[in-house]
Amino acid sequence: MIASRRQFLSAAVVGLTPKTERSITGGFIDDGHDPGHRLRDHAAFPAAKQTIKIPLLIVGGGIAGLSAAWWLDKHGFRDFVLLEMLEQAGGNARWGENEITPYPWAAHYVPVPGRKAALVRELFEELGVLRDGVWEERHLCFSPQERLYLHGRWQEGIEPVTAATARDREDFASFFDRVREFRATGEFTIPMELGARPSPLDRVSMAQWLEHEHFTSPYLHWYINYACRDDYGALAADTSAWAGIHYFASREPEEKGPLTWPEGNGWIVRRLLTKLGRYVQTGAMVHRIITQGRKLRVSAGAADYIADTVIFAAPSFLTSYVCESARPVHGIVYSPWLTANLTLDRLPREHDIETAWDNVIYDSPALGYVVATHQSLRTHIDRTVWTFYWALAQGSPADNRRLLLEKNWSYWKEAILSDLERAHPDIRQCVSRIDVLRLGHAMARPVPGFLGSQERRGLTESSGNLLFANSDLSGFSIFEEAQYRAVKAAERALRRLQGTAVQHRDRLVR
Amino acid sequence: MPVVLFLSVALIAACGLIYELVAGTLASYLLGDSVFQFSTVIGSYLFAMGVGSYLSRFIVRGLVARFISIELMVGLVGGFSSAALFLAFAYTQGFQLILYAIVLVIGILVGLEIPLLMRILKHRLEFRELVAHVLTFDYLGALGASLLFPILLVPKLGMVRSALLFGIINAGVALWSTYLFRDQLGARTWLRVACMVVLAVLGAGMAGAERITQAADNNLYADEVIFARDTRYQRIVLTKWKDDVRLFLSSHLQFSSRDEYRYHEALVHPGLASLPGARRVLVLGGGDGLAVREILKYPNVDSVTLVDLDPEMTRLFSTHPYLVTLNQHSLTDARVHVINADAFPWLQQTSEPFDFIVVDFPDPTNYSLGKLYTTAFYRLMARHLSAQGLAVVQSTSPLFARQSYWCIAETLKQARLKTYPYHLYVPSFGEWGFVLAGPNTYEPPMRLPERLRYLSVAAIPQLFQFPNDMLPVDAEPNRLNDQVLVRYYEHDWREISH
Repeated sequence: MIASRRQFLSAAVVGLTPKTERSITGGFIDDGHDPGHRLRDHAAFPAAKQTIKIPLLIVGGGIAGLSAAWWLDKHGFRDFVLLEMLEQAGGNARWGENEITPYPWAAHYVPVPGRKAALVRELFEELGVLRDGVWEERHLCFSPQERLYLHGRWQEGIEPVTAATARDREDFASFFDRVREFRATGEFTIPMELGARPSPLDRVSMAQWLEHEHFTSPYLHWYINYACRDDYGALAADTSAWAGIHYFASREPEEKGPLTWPEGNGWIVRRLLTKLGRYVQTGAMVHRIITQGRKLRVSAGAADYIADTVIFAAPSFLTSYVCESARPVHGIVYSPWLTANLTLDRLPREHDIETAWDNVIYDSPALGYVVATHQSLRTHIDRTVWTFYWALAQGSPADNRRLLLEKNWSYWKEAILSDLERAHPDIRQCVSRIDVLRLGHAMARPVPGFLGSQERRGLTESSGNLLFANSDLSGFSIFEEAQYRAVKAAERALRRLQGTAVQHRDRLVR
Repeated sequence: MPVVLFLSVALIAACGLIYELVAGTLASYLLGDSVFQFSTVIGSYLFAMGVGSYLSRFIVRGLVARFISIELMVGLVGGFSSAALFLAFAYTQGFQLILYAIVLVIGILVGLEIPLLMRILKHRLEFRELVAHVLTFDYLGALGASLLFPILLVPKLGMVRSALLFGIINAGVALWSTYLFRDQLGARTWLRVACMVVLAVLGAGMAGAERITQAADNNLYADEVIFARDTRYQRIVLTKWKDDVRLFLSSHLQFSSRDEYRYHEALVHPGLASLPGARRVLVLGGGDGLAVREILKYPNVDSVTLVDLDPEMTRLFSTHPYLVTLNQHSLTDARVHVINADAFPWLQQTSEPFDFIVVDFPDPTNYSLGKLYTTAFYRLMARHLSAQGLAVVQSTSPLFARQSYWCIAETLKQARLKTYPYHLYVPSFGEWGFVLAGPNTYEPPMRLPERLRYLSVAAIPQLFQFPNDMLPVDAEPNRLNDQVLVRYYEHDWREISH
């Protein structure tokens, strides 16, 4: 933009372009907090125009809801509807797309599943990601996978090595020795339910455990803190040591992964939707669930559903606002997050090493960025989209949720650019657009004591006609747990429905 | 006062020597035979200085004004001498004529300087003092210049800008002289204006020189740059040294016109000559059209598809008069289809089968290029091979990058292809390697196209023999998610350069 003729002319004469910051567009993305808060505040919703009878209803169109639908459809059960609050299904795995590339809005990878994650393997075989026991190369994260900006330069890998002391290296080595021991116990599995046992590790925080084990390396502390923020949206001091260790001990170290796609886990959602789209109703927010005889009346938008069984795959805390009969869920803590997608018209200058898939800045409050075009087969890429991740882990979740709502887009834009500017001084000349997604309740947080929590167990074992299926039942939000919880709920729902069908038939026969 | 005066003596002496060095160095750069070039340049320069000294006797009046004019002329001619010589070499046949003309002009002008200056100063100092001081500073300046030139100027500024910088110093001395000798000078204003104009012209030259020097003075390119362009994808540079034209893509040598026939004959014929029924050929990379030139020697081939990323590259090799002579107009042949696309996605979206595929990509110097050497890429390539088809892959050097070479062979094997590695000697590259790969057993050809300069039927089986220092070594296959090749390649070349 030319501010004035004079400015333009003087610039032309001197041969310099005026050094003004280029304009960056963007805004907030619909995160469903408006209807969500109407729910919380018990606002009035319009009365239903129609009533639909249905044996089974799934609430929530994230990975949990879609996985329940996947499993039911696969087992020949087709008499159900899935209701999603937003206009786009996917939940934490939803995605966006612009003229450059598709990109993720939140969850962006699945670690290569181990033998125990049978359901994940089953799905990936169906999607052609796993063929005859071999992972399709194109879906595995390309080289180079990760890099860390530390002491003014980029290094390969996220484990800090630049200027590491002998003490740092010893601490890392003995930490990974401990991880190997924990892995060997068989207690740290994915899905977690298959191995988890009551553990003293659940009584302390990860930070306390590190201190107790005399790990002093600041690099190791940063690294573990980063892992907790990245997977749980929490500081090590707010994470159960059992969960902190689970992050490391549950993965097979030798697998070269993870599995990832330009739109992140949105790739899986897209494929699930092509199969299951006919069950899915978007823009349908469930605002009330009440018991009606042996059935449940579910009000969503202009329709009331009379369902035999409901699989509640949305975050479990929402039942407090939706179900009259349900006890409020207090025990599960949710971490607030912010993600942003940055459109880059040109790439920042790189000096040390090539851009990786996951790019982390040491000592940043945020988590770094992931490059959406990393999985492209092209050799030449001059525009891209970066997904910036920021778990607001410092301070209380409630305060941070308030901050998310209070601050305007310019505030977050500035915060994001200032953070990136440390590693990319020319970032402001590269970015043309920043879209920001605020997730007040992004994921369950495995705080100390979560493993032994009665409330969590209660939700897991619910056996009435309202079955819980969200990943928060496992205490942390990962693809594998969402899918596992959903399939478990779907199995129970099907048993229940077939049971009533059998009873019904028996009665007829008599 | 005298010290300041003598400083200007040292400066003009330095300028004079710099121009001499620039001329000598450029002549050796561009023509070779540095002993001859330096001897003749220094000889004619000294001779011209003698002529200048002799001519000084004809200058009688207005000594200071004349001296200043001469300074300005030296500044202009000397300052632009380097740029003029580069251009003369690129665009004219008479480089040597212009070289010696410039050397003579500068020599004469520089030869005038010291006698005139001594005459200007003769009233201020005793003759004994004058001669001693002027000559002392003259030689000191020369020493300074001769040290600065190789240590600082050529590596930091380059030839073109070094000459221009000293042109500016000459003009600066001229301007300064209008103040130093103001008492001996009549019309000062016009001389000062002239100084300013010359300074401005040289300054502008300095700013504009950037573009020429970037390419020409990059010490990678020892030879003269005859073409340089930054495209969206790479920097294309062509250099010429006598009859040797070299192509560099982003600083990596692609071919030398002196021996490229070895490379391209060996790339194409061992495979294609063994497929007498081959009709459809695909070339990935190779926008220079040299592989295509070899392919077009087969009358049985009725279509050649060339996929190269950079449209500038294929356009250059379709139009540049010298380059189309080199590739024999291969890219504009009716049988050839040029497609400008990124090879991996292009291959993915086409279903066409080919009888022969030439894979001639730049070396795997980074993870982006490394994608084109992965099991995923070769599996996709194999799906485009006809039942009897063959592919040949440019595979770096089995001698200098031994593990990289065998890694590429191993990667092709992982794509379930039979592999036939071979190598040859290309003087400008050293030992170079290719890998033939296909679903079937390969038999070396019994016939070759006529009039090949390097290959013969009898020589082909020898290409497949590897001496001890190039024998296979263990290497992991290169995968998209674990690009070992880029690390091998970096390691291999680091070993060589240490």
